Amino acid sequence: MSEKISRRDFLKIAGTGAAAATVLTGCGPASRYVTREPYAKMPEYTMNGQSTYYATTCRECAAGCGLVVRTMQGRALKTEGNKYNPVNLGKTCARGQATLDGLYNPDRVTGPVKKSGKGSQDFTANATWDAAVQVVTDALTKNKPAEVAFLLGLAPDHLFDLVSDLCTALGAPAPLRYGALSLFEARATLGEAARAVFGKPDLLFFDLAGADVTFSFGANFLETWISPVAYTRGFANMRRGNPNKRGYLVQFEPRMSQTAAKADEWIPIVPGTEGMVAAALGSLISEAKFGVASAAFSNANVAKASQLSGVPLATFDHLAKLFLGAAHALAIPGGAALGQTNGLENGKAILTLNALAGNLGQPGGVFFTPASPLGDEYHRPANAKELGDLIGQMKSGSIKVLFIHGVNPVFEIPQALGFAPALSKVPTVISFSSFQDETAVLSDYVFPDHTGLESFGYQRVPTGSGQSMLSGAQPVVAPVFDTKATADVLLAAVAKAGGSLASTLPSKHEVEYIQNKLGSLLTAKDGFYAASEIESFWVQFQQFGGWWKNTPELGTPTASLDTPLTVSQPEYAGDGDFYLFPFVSPVLGEAGANKPWLQEIPDPTTTVTWSTWVEINPKTADALGLDNDDVVLITSPAGSVEVSVYKYPAIRPDTIAIPFGRGHTAYGRYAVQGQGVNPADLFNSQVNPAGDLAFGAMKVTITKTGKQRQLARLEGILGVYGYATPAK
Amino acid sequence: MAVTAKALPHAHAQEEHEDPREHLMLDPRPRGEMNAMAMEAMLSTNWKFWLVIVILAATVAYCLFYEWGVLIFEGQGVAGVTRPDYWGVFLVDVVFWIGISHAGTFISALLRVLKVEARRPFTRAAELMTTFGLVQAGISVFLHLGRVWLTYWMIPLPNQRGLWPDFHSPLMWDFMAITTYLLCSTMYLYMPLIPDLAMARDRSTGWRKLLYRVMALGFRGNEFQWKHLTTAMNIFAFAIIPVMFSVHTIVSWDFAMASRPGWSSTVFGPYFVIGALHSGIAAVLLVLFLIRSTMKHMDYFLRLEHFDFLGKLSLVISMIWAYFYFNDYIVPWYGGGTIEKTLLDFLARGPASPLWYAMLFCNIVVPWAILWNKNWRRKPWLLALVGIAVNIGMYLERYIIIPVTVTITRDPFTWRLYHPAIEIPITIGMFALFLLLYMLASRIIPLIPVWEVEEGQAAHSLRKLGKTEVVSLSELE
Amino acid sequence: MSHAHEHAHEHQDATPKALSATGKWGMVIDQDLCTGCQACVAACAMENNLSFIGEDDVAYGRSMQWIRIERYWQGEYPKVSMTDYQPMMCQQCGNAPCEPVCPVYASVHSASEDLNVQVYNRCIGTRYCANNCPYQVREFNWRDWPLPEPMSNRLNPDVTVRQRGVMEKCTFCIQRIHTGENTAAAANRDVLDGEVVPACAQACPANAITFGRIDDPTTQVAQLAQDSRGYHQLEEMNTLPRVTYLKGGSKHGSNG
Repeated sequence: MSEKISRRDFLKIAGTGAAAATVLTGCGPASRYVTREPYAKMPEYTMNGQSTYYATTCRECAAGCGLVVRTMQGRALKTEGNKYNPVNLGKTCARGQATLDGLYNPDRVTGPVKKSGKGSQDFTANATWDAAVQVVTDALTKNKPAEVAFLLGLAPDHLFDLVSDLCTALGAPAPLRYGALSLFEARATLGEAARAVFGKPDLLFFDLAGADVTFSFGANFLETWISPVAYTRGFANMRRGNPNKRGYLVQFEPRMSQTAAKADEWIPIVPGTEGMVAAALGSLISEAKFGVASAAFSNANVAKASQLSGVPLATFDHLAKLFLGAAHALAIPGGAALGQTNGLENGKAILTLNALAGNLGQPGGVFFTPASPLGDEYHRPANAKELGDLIGQMKSGSIKVLFIHGVNPVFEIPQALGFAPALSKVPTVISFSSFQDETAVLSDYVFPDHTGLESFGYQRVPTGSGQSMLSGAQPVVAPVFDTKATADVLLAAVAKAGGSLASTLPSKHEVEYIQNKLGSLLTAKDGFYAASEIESFWVQFQQFGGWWKNTPELGTPTASLDTPLTVSQPEYAGDGDFYLFPFVSPVLGEAGANKPWLQEIPDPTTTVTWSTWVEINPKTADALGLDNDDVVLITSPAGSVEVSVYKYPAIRPDTIAIPFGRGHTAYGRYAVQGQGVNPADLFNSQVNPAGDLAFGAMKVTITKTGKQRQLARLEGILGVYGYATPAK
Repeated sequence: MAVTAKALPHAHAQEEHEDPREHLMLDPRPRGEMNAMAMEAMLSTNWKFWLVIVILAATVAYCLFYEWGVLIFEGQGVAGVTRPDYWGVFLVDVVFWIGISHAGTFISALLRVLKVEARRPFTRAAELMTTFGLVQAGISVFLHLGRVWLTYWMIPLPNQRGLWPDFHSPLMWDFMAITTYLLCSTMYLYMPLIPDLAMARDRSTGWRKLLYRVMALGFRGNEFQWKHLTTAMNIFAFAIIPVMFSVHTIVSWDFAMASRPGWSSTVFGPYFVIGALHSGIAAVLLVLFLIRSTMKHMDYFLRLEHFDFLGKLSLVISMIWAYFYFNDYIVPWYGGGTIEKTLLDFLARGPASPLWYAMLFCNIVVPWAILWNKNWRRKPWLLALVGIAVNIGMYLERYIIIPVTVTITRDPFTWRLYHPAIEIPITIGMFALFLLLYMLASRIIPLIPVWEVEEGQAAHSLRKLGKTEVVSLSELE
Repeated sequence: MSHAHEHAHEHQDATPKALSATGKWGMVIDQDLCTGCQACVAACAMENNLSFIGEDDVAYGRSMQWIRIERYWQGEYPKVSMTDYQPMMCQQCGNAPCEPVCPVYASVHSASEDLNVQVYNRCIGTRYCANNCPYQVREFNWRDWPLPEPMSNRLNPDVTVRQRGVMEKCTFCIQRIHTGENTAAAANRDVLDGEVVPACAQACPANAITFGRIDDPTTQVAQLAQDSRGYHQLEEMNTLPRVTYLKGGSKHGSNG
């Protein structure tokens, strides 16, 4: 190289250097150019070695717990509870802790995908967001409004509101929202029972903290039931919140769940007999209290209830005395009691016990959860009947485009309802899933949304907060991949469509939409904070992770004991010898299977990890010649699954239990590892009068297969169960 | 040499029909002839020998070195260890091989000090077992370490960080003791070897001559050198006996100093030493049988009387061992501690109980059933089988002490069974390495200490007292 | 203040074995409140960069959880009950059996925090410490478990990622203790009660875990440790654990 550089060469070299400092990126609407900066000049609010904390809302379930996420240099490191959020008051459940395994999951959809066909497992990002928006625009405009359908998850609410507005503007049917939890919690039945007994189908709040005696009929409130973090706090306060008393819990359940394990008494009843037991108790209690049984319980037959439920008469007397003697008694109907053919009657009987206890609107009693500050009604998830209607329309070809977000219906809707085959009849299926799940596999397009931690939004809370509140979400990190907020995609499509649609939905992007919605809160009274204009409000909304009122506004239900209740005997589908008791995995919830740490965390009662199991009473197993880890075939009228045996000491001998949450065929490498089976494959499509699936009303057969597959337990089977049995 | 004749008490008890020349000590050959026999035994190999060498070498290469490489690169996860069975077959191997190695020291040192004449022809064969056994033990120690490339941190050398190893730890005592034992026993192997190396030097050519010339250190066999060599050997013989007792005691303290149920037992020290002798003597029986059957002229040196002697020794040791084992069980059982009784119940009734019963059978029933009989003690093949049985039994004993006992913790939630994985091929590789080294050594150095045999033969003579012939033994200075 | 100073002086002069029975940082676990929900397990895993190992290794007993929830069964159906859920983590023993047995000083007692400290970069993997722990709360890295991208983004930079062959265990979130102490020192004050919270206690929805300065009788943890329901695990081993468990309530609704 010569010492002398010509002037032309010098400019060339200098020019190259300058150009190299600017780098083109393709992602994000805000900055098309990113300049490289030295480490000493960090982005705002970021200092080397210091963490920045962002408040947001957890999206692992719909409880609306607030999170504060620790980030450092643009990476999310740890989630903690937001101590200000009234639902969780700074606490998190295992799913909230493991949500980072979702954000940084290696099997996310990394960009917009035009699939090579329904069923293709190739998720290589091959489209641009502009093209994706065009596809959505075409789907919305080129089809008749009645042919467009939206199926959303239970979270996030701001997207549900946006889609509702969109469907209204379009003239399309309102979006359905669904999640497996809503099926297992039988939300529709709970609402209808509340409407029948208390006059409104609103979500109820059960004040465990103040109760002296609680009768929980299959409500697993320490696990996943509606708002587990809030209810766990209530349980803890019930036990030790008052130094002068310790609340007493009785759990009525065919199988000892994690909640039942913490109860003072576990009553192993036959599935479906919860209502008969509640009514029988009601008649005994009211008779002792008033001298004569209340009209509501006049049809109850204690002897018959005892015979059908398997609960001894002496226990009825003991329980009645217990309930009667409590200053604050509470009765809770859980999903297991409501997801039955007689589920609505069960729910009404159980809720009426609260009227009998006189606890409505009292400490330790039943309340109405306050409506959200946006002033709207509680948006109930779709029940099985409504899903069935949608599926019928899909099958018949009346749905030309189906948008799916926030739910994995191919996995979460029982196969008996026929969602997957119906999906193949829909010409355009657009999934917004962030993960390579089963529904995305069967979709035509996957336009991945940001995950919860990368998203703006708000969430109404189903219960757990005394105050009317809205939980808020904001991105804690820049999007990891080339994903785009679904709200932004829809709004961009609307803008592209133009016309009346665009004028009804003028927001240009998600934040603008949310801010418009929050506008009504500027003039709301008694708020945790206030602001005169939206930008200041928005800053505080982000900082505190939501907005709520200072004063609790729990509603007081009213009920009468005058109308006689009928509780019919439960009916079961199938002629096997064993009741099937399916339950949601307390660790995985409905969607945790793709998070490796959730898979590795043991189930609280069996300590099994990574796989599905069937719980069989040890005496029953011995009688059938079954041992731990034997693979058996469980058959119902709707289907069959092969699953390993766990000899479970605390389950009725005539009942078997299988957890829900595993059995994925897609959804990432961690979800398909292990031997997972989906007990929902055994459900048939019978619904109860409230429209919910009677998932608890199955009778199944057990067949030996001769195969064995070891379950990965944390516990040492030798130490917990003894070594007289052959050890594994 | 002062000569005092002494009639041996057992002389009359000998069977009248026995030919005194059946005893090695009473059947002298000219010294040159015995040396020639030893040399010929060392130099002759056949195709069977080399076939076995090749097979052993291949086994060592794959089972030991390759699998060890896998173990280092993958981690201890390819072995069968887990919670709570943190120590498994590799530790069993450590104890086993140290046990084997005790036999050599016992025979060449303790029996020498006690002036037991029967030891003479096989001291070196036993001492070789010590050295090679310690090599295996050393390898086994390295095998179980999680980050073996940092083992040197256990060496108390001054370093930049100013960090010493922690001498509170029984593992450090192990490290010191085994190193000492290895060094001392190698030297104690070497010293009596010098005269034989000198003999070999004088009788070989080629590379062997060069090798022996170097190794013999210029030994010429004059009085001055013999005197110094004998003094050194005597000092070492006395000194290495406490080393022998302390090494296995210290190894036992790896367990006795721990708080595990079944380990924290004060009887472990002597119990392990006796156990080591039990398995060591049994191994000597097997090795001597193999040597006698496969090498030339060994039936002259290794006679039925030696097997008889070792058989009696083995019987006595098995009785002592049974006594210590009984103690180790009866005391905690009587004490009634919950976890100790749980452990005993687990051994007797749990999934590993067949191993426990097999151990008791091999270690007690087999020797007691066979070794009491004088005729049976004079069948080398039978004693070799007893040796195998006792070694299996003692291996099982260590297996029960380590991975089986360790299943039972004070927290039943953690109880888990141990299943060896890569330990199996690696252990096989170590046995192959032991045999390989031994076989190669048998062809590089003379296996029989001819000078010691000759020394004994010189001291023994038959004297006529009246009508009977009596064996008399001169006291050697 | 002078009492604290004396106390500190005592620690400096004390040999590693002459430790107080109570300790400095302590924990109370209320088994009446623990619901077995495993939120603490998840929180600890996320905070301390724990490796997940897959089904086969878990089946064989090699789970890396620094805190685990134990439970047993009592009786037979229908009179069957589950024992209290029992979160088990390193008890940070004052008289730790794991300390004297490590040949290379990888398991040592910290004088300043009065905790048992595992020095990852010194450990050569003899596993004697784990053998000697009566609570079996030490976890060994049986393999390397590399994280597929982009999962390594969530690793906590305050905590080392351990190599295969190294022993690890609960540290009472010592990184949070240090952060708390540094923050307090920078503000020229002592650490406030409740300022330092390990990941498990922070997550627990039932508030079953309380943590703090157990040598200060005014802290919540010190007062809870005096509860009549309190007991130590394996007390007869004389390990002087820093974790007090509060027995679960009776079956008949009474307190204590």
